[in-house]
Amino acid sequence: MSFFGFDTSGHDKAQPGFSQAHDPFAGLSGRNADVDDALEFEDTYDGLGDQLDDADDAFNDDTFGGGSGAAPAPSHGGAPSAGKVGKDFDFFGQTAKVSGAIEEEHMRFDRQQPTARPVQQQSLNQYHQPPQSQAAYYASQPIQQAYQPARTGYEKYREPEAMPDLNVDRSIWGIGPSKAAAQHAAPSPQAQYAPQHASQPPAQPPASRKIMSLEEVEAAMRQPKPASQAPPQEYRHTPPPPGFQQQQQHLQQLQQQVTTPQQGQAQPVTILQRPQSGQPNKATPPAQQQAPPAQPTQILQNPNRLSGDAARIAMGHQPHPSQGSLPKMGQLQQHPQFNQMSEEEKAAFLDQETKRAKRNHKIWLLSKDNGLMTPQDKNFITRIQLQQLVSATGNPAERDTDTSIAEDFYYQVYSHIRAGQRQNPTQPLSNFAQTYLFQTGGRHGGLRRHGRPAENHFQRMEQQVQRAVEAAKNKPKNPQLVIAGSLGKISFSNAKTPKPLLNIKRNDSETQRPSSAKKPTHTGLNRRAVLRAVEKVYNTLMKIEDHVRMIPPPMSETADDELRTQHAEWKIQLDTLIAQLWDELQVHAPVDEIVPHPFIAFLSCAKGKKAIPRIFPHLDFEKRTTILTLIIYHLDQLDVVQEAVVSADTTLNARTRENVELFISTVMPSLMGYFNETGLDIVDGVLNLVAMKLPIDTIAKTRIGVSMLTLILSRAVLLKQTGAGNPEQWEKWDRTFETLFNKLEPSLPYIFPGSVNTGEDVYVWQLLAAMGVTASHDQQTRLVLAVKDRVLDTVQLSKTLPPAMASDRLGSVNLFMRSIGLDVELLQ
Amino acid sequence: MLFFSFFKTLIDHEVTVELKNDIQLRGTLKSVDQYLNIKLDDISVVEELKYPHLSSVKNVFIRGSVVRYVHLPAGSVDTQLLEDATRREAAAQQSKAK
Repeated sequence: MSFFGFDTSGHDKAQPGFSQAHDPFAGLSGRNADVDDALEFEDTYDGLGDQLDDADDAFNDDTFGGGSGAAPAPSHGGAPSAGKVGKDFDFFGQTAKVSGAIEEEHMRFDRQQPTARPVQQQSLNQYHQPPQSQAAYYASQPIQQAYQPARTGYEKYREPEAMPDLNVDRSIWGIGPSKAAAQHAAPSPQAQYAPQHASQPPAQPPASRKIMSLEEVEAAMRQPKPASQAPPQEYRHTPPPPGFQQQQQHLQQLQQQVTTPQQGQAQPVTILQRPQSGQPNKATPPAQQQAPPAQPTQILQNPNRLSGDAARIAMGHQPHPSQGSLPKMGQLQQHPQFNQMSEEEKAAFLDQETKRAKRNHKIWLLSKDNGLMTPQDKNFITRIQLQQLVSATGNPAERDTDTSIAEDFYYQVYSHIRAGQRQNPTQPLSNFAQTYLFQTGGRHGGLRRHGRPAENHFQRMEQQVQRAVEAAKNKPKNPQLVIAGSLGKISFSNAKTPKPLLNIKRNDSETQRPSSAKKPTHTGLNRRAVLRAVEKVYNTLMKIEDHVRMIPPPMSETADDELRTQHAEWKIQLDTLIAQLWDELQVHAPVDEIVPHPFIAFLSCAKGKKAIPRIFPHLDFEKRTTILTLIIYHLDQLDVVQEAVVSADTTLNARTRENVELFISTVMPSLMGYFNETGLDIVDGVLNLVAMKLPIDTIAKTRIGVSMLTLILSRAVLLKQTGAGNPEQWEKWDRTFETLFNKLEPSLPYIFPGSVNTGEDVYVWQLLAAMGVTASHDQQTRLVLAVKDRVLDTVQLSKTLPPAMASDRLGSVNLFMRSIGLDVELLQ
Repeated sequence: MLFFSFFKTLIDHEVTVELKNDIQLRGTLKSVDQYLNIKLDDISVVEELKYPHLSSVKNVFIRGSVVRYVHLPAGSVDTQLLEDATRREAAAQQSKAK
């Protein structure tokens, strides 16, 4: 192998460049030796290197100083010294320093180029020499071949022109060289060989042959290398002699830059640079052209030892500025261990290298499109980012309905109510998302011929946007940042949690609250407690409504068990919530114990009234009956009855009127709806309750009371018309009605609100109409007598009113008149 | 998010925005964001004589922080729903504070 076929002759061991560094591949290289003349590094290594005093640079001057180094250099060129030195070169620390010198070298050589060109042929010829010398060395010291040269770039320029740059070179090698120098100087065996080596220039032919055989091996290794390699590389594949030549040509460049004058003059030194990656080859042809006329010194550069730095240096000296040596160097660096691999490894390595080169080429071809993203690309990236966002915050997919409702309740439900056709409240959001996504996607949607993948794309994206948004919502954000060592905190605000302007300590307020709230509770039912109860009801109500919203998909006949269980669970939970609601309504609180009854107190506040229409749908018939009974029983306790007693003189204040309106619009419809399901027994029972227990005269003077009576009576009328109930019930009903009528009759003239002018008495006429229908003939007469004045007044008034209003008034009076078979027309 | 949620339902309704510098702008609510920044279209200044420089302005973007009041169209507010939403918001905040 070429590791051992190193040309010792041109190798100036005395140069500072021969420093020692651990060679991690030493073992491997030993294996490779088998291929050659069974030279085992392990066998040949005498361990002398260990004895070297690395720290001592006392002999540096002797070794390297000026031109005097010429003598030692050849002498040390022998392999033996390298055997000790045979460790990898540590250049890393030195590279930076070296680079400056390399720069100079570059410049110098560039300037030098014109003169160098003509001589290239000459130089080519000369390159055959180094192998010879190397061979000569091997011949004399076969065993020593196992040395591992520590250095690749140890040569100095040998051309005369290069002379002035010697210093530079030296600086290159002088960086870590003191050790190497000491090593080289010390060992005697090496010195022994050196003279031989030096004195054997004639041995060139065998040497070259030998080296060629090495080259052959290499060439064989190179064979599998792909075509992607630069053409110069192919040279290497050629049979030994040409290959060798090529190589040497290649080396020439290095030589030009690196050879020392002494070396050049005393003996040719060839740098045999292994074609490790093939990249150096590219640089080769031009380099050849630039070869200087001077006598070439050829240094066999052992690739094994070619550490990345060394290679870099060597390449750095390549004269051709346009060659772009950097990439090559980079590649060179990757393969220092190449030659230490076994054949299979090499083959595999080369194969990989080929693949890599191909791939790189491809990448390079594609790189012209760098920076150009298609919309798909962008969407793809966005999706990845969103995905990460989602995964970072956990998958909230299950909670999406909940959270969106919690965050955006008003909007969601409002849109749901206003646009009834939507299936669920989450849909507006997805519509939003769709809108946005289609806006962004519209551009390339048109470009795409197949819309489907694009659509899927959007759908996925849309889902991810949703999930991401929700995940972001769920993500607990730390509203404060405390920087270590700083005083105070930085608090952030966002849309969800605005920066609090007031920071009230909750604990204090919570401890205070109970104490202030306790007092009133002792006194019984106060407004605060009532309000709290109402809020409780509302909370439960909202829970129920939420629960109703989450009803599982409707059962069909083919429903599976899972769905059935879902429904069962759902129902159970709903029942629990309703029971809770029922408890909180306090309908079952003992009657007459607390005044007003908790439920009546509940109804007395506006919130409570508003809750009724929402509560009723969740209650079954029995519970509704209970509520109705309770309301009727406590009718006189209701605020809308208690405070709303009308008289001809006074009008209700605004608040009471508002309450009454509210009651009419909230509670009454619910009761009306309930009444439509009742039978005669309940109607009779309720009416009996009113007739027996309640102060009819008071109740009749309120709008709510009158409306309630109308409700009961009209239901009875309806029942009678539909033929419901049996004669006994009707008999009972008639008795009850008579009781009521008797009680009510005295109050009839006074139940009209305000004067005739106010025109708010429609509801009274409705009651009278209901009574008139129900009443017997005798009762009807008494009815007419009781309200005769009002009828006449209204008719009188209507004559003075504009036709529209007049007909209104007369119409309401007519409600009553017709119920008893009369008409206001008769009065006019 | 309650107010954001609420104002979203008022989009395309006419509202009057009273700013902290006493200017009142009436216009169609076109857009609102979570900072309650507001975009109004077809605006008119309520006291046009006082702010003649705004007569030619057709639409505005109002930073949420400079709004004092927004006069709402009562018909497009579902009070009960708003109450519920408020309850939910309060409950959410309470649970968050704990």
